[in-house]
Amino acid sequence: MTKLSVIRASAGVIDGSLASSDLDLSADVCIIGSGAGGAVVASVLAAAGVSVILVEEGGYFSTADFDMHEAHTVPKLYQEGMQRTTADLAISVLQGRAVGGTTVVNWTTSFRTPEAVVEHWSKKHAVGGFKYADLVPHYEAIEARLSIHEVDESAMNRNNKKLYDGCKSKGFAVAPTRRNVYQCMQTGYCGTGCPINAKRSMLVTLVPDAIDSGAKLLFRCRIDRLDSAAGEITAAHGTLLDASGYGVTGKGATIKAKRFILAGGAINSPAVLLRSGLNENALVGTRTFLHPTIGVTGLYDEPIEAFYGAPQTAASHAFAHRGDDVGFFMEAAPGYPVLSATAMPGFGDSHRRMMEASSRRTVHIALAIDGFHDDVPGGTVKLRPSGAPLLDYPIPPRLWEAFRTAQRRLAEVNFASGAKEVTTLHDPPVTATSDKDLDRLDAAPWEPCRVGVFTAHQMGGCRLGDDPKSSIVRSEDLRHHTIKNLYVVDGSVFPTSLGVNPQESIYGLARLMATRIVGR
Amino acid sequence: MNRRRFVQRGLFGAAVLLLGGGGLSLYPTRHLASPSKPLRVLDDRGFQVIVAVAARVITAPDADPALLAERIDESLSRVSPEAQADLASLVGLFENALPGLLLDGRATPFTRLGGAAQDRALASWRDSHLVVRRSGYHALRRLCFVAYYGDERAWPGIHYKGPPDVNGFFHDDSKAGTPEWIAAQDAKAGAP
Repeated sequence: MTKLSVIRASAGVIDGSLASSDLDLSADVCIIGSGAGGAVVASVLAAAGVSVILVEEGGYFSTADFDMHEAHTVPKLYQEGMQRTTADLAISVLQGRAVGGTTVVNWTTSFRTPEAVVEHWSKKHAVGGFKYADLVPHYEAIEARLSIHEVDESAMNRNNKKLYDGCKSKGFAVAPTRRNVYQCMQTGYCGTGCPINAKRSMLVTLVPDAIDSGAKLLFRCRIDRLDSAAGEITAAHGTLLDASGYGVTGKGATIKAKRFILAGGAINSPAVLLRSGLNENALVGTRTFLHPTIGVTGLYDEPIEAFYGAPQTAASHAFAHRGDDVGFFMEAAPGYPVLSATAMPGFGDSHRRMMEASSRRTVHIALAIDGFHDDVPGGTVKLRPSGAPLLDYPIPPRLWEAFRTAQRRLAEVNFASGAKEVTTLHDPPVTATSDKDLDRLDAAPWEPCRVGVFTAHQMGGCRLGDDPKSSIVRSEDLRHHTIKNLYVVDGSVFPTSLGVNPQESIYGLARLMATRIVGR
Repeated sequence: MNRRRFVQRGLFGAAVLLLGGGGLSLYPTRHLASPSKPLRVLDDRGFQVIVAVAARVITAPDADPALLAERIDESLSRVSPEAQADLASLVGLFENALPGLLLDGRATPFTRLGGAAQDRALASWRDSHLVVRRSGYHALRRLCFVAYYGDERAWPGIHYKGPPDVNGFFHDDSKAGTPEWIAAQDAKAGAP
């Protein structure tokens, strides 16, 4: 850790991998997870003078670690070294694991929660604890703190410009995204940790804010379970991990606090509750949403170089609302070598040929908006025998239909932008060479493990609501319905997906709820 | 093992359950390479199978299947113990001649097949009507791609020039970019 002005090194920052004995710690509030939810709450509570300990399973990294090399950074920064998948391996799960959580590796796209989504929660999921207007001042505060602003069209790399121009040409609504960056150098490597701290992730903003206000940080500590008695959590017990982040040191940590805030994100927060036996209404882990994502790659005569430049600077929500059909939105993805290689179909020579042309390929994705239809109920987080989480996410027919339609739209966009061919992520791949071939894409097989499906947006599993029979936490303050000193503040509380990239939704909700929690 | 347990075991466990385990073998596994360091997850048989798979998945002239297998072994240390065990079972199943005979009509272990026959075996898993075989194919190819394309020596072959040079620059203030910070910088710059 060499960048001491951003990466804090003080008595209050504890590297669990270095502990020579078991740790016994205490604070007013123990926050489990330092990502978009936990860091926001920690900064608000610590600034209000509350004694806080922030616990993180991942490592505490700096620009010295972010060398833009996937082989070096991915094992450090992603859950299971980016090998996390759904139970049947049909969906690859990209989820961060570091101080700062997924905000360290996301692609910086920042949207407020659509007002219609908040209204939907109110009407359909008994969410009466807040309205969209309550969130607005917190979005504004976060936007100022994290330099969230709309990107200039001139800053789009060719991968995004093809998406943007193709949508315009087809008459599909499209707009530049907003990003949480300051003086970005457009390296494109947001996904492997920003090498210059231009990305205003939690790692370099609200985590240091919290520490500066007196919060303690314990990293390399995986919380195994919460002890409870008489309707309250009494302690959190964790395992200390070694410097690799994957082995254990044989030492543990016990943290006692008056209040506990679970902020491990979707998948991990439900897993903590399940390991702790806190699932009396059998809803923990259910309704986990992913924005399941498919993609196409367009081949062009000119260089595209999707590995360079800000990864996501254009987004189309033209098909977000499709009535009885599942909506989707379209964005670009970076073309890092490993990420591209694992997405491209085939093996051997055919795969090698696709990769040899990767510098002339676009990588465009469509993210399905799950959770708004009764027969699209999301997945369920369960536990493996070791206690590690396992997400079962069967893909229902209505989602497959959304994928098929989205794939066609992405192909149309690429042909409108001048692609000489468009290839799907089916294996074996399906290729179209003009708009006239699109029916071939429609006929591609839509079954698990015949087409690449991904997720970088995990939501739900500990949903909020006012009915204890249908939710885990109260919507007024995200407090657990029956455990008086336990809160869940992260993306797991969303009762549906969002239809937009989730980071700002988590920031805004967490900040609103932190202001309420601090007053109780 | 009931259905719930079947699902909880995940992909590799399901594949093993489906075909009755990977322990039976008509012919021994072919020795292809020796690891240069102790293996962390794979056993020697699994290592040989991965070497054989890597040789067919990565056909770039500069690829070293044994080195790729070593990297794959290391990467497996990052997944849960159950996933490690499941992958070991998958590798055994992939190699095993008996399920190969039942499902593909091949009576020879994967490591003892010629290159074209190995490609047909991989394609058979890819195109299987059984989701567990398709997912096994994807798991194996993914491990190989991560191991190969993470190495900068693979980059010239895909016309990737590597990460850009940031000339040592980085923002070193946690408040950088906030309105207050920018105002302070402006004031400082405007000061005599």
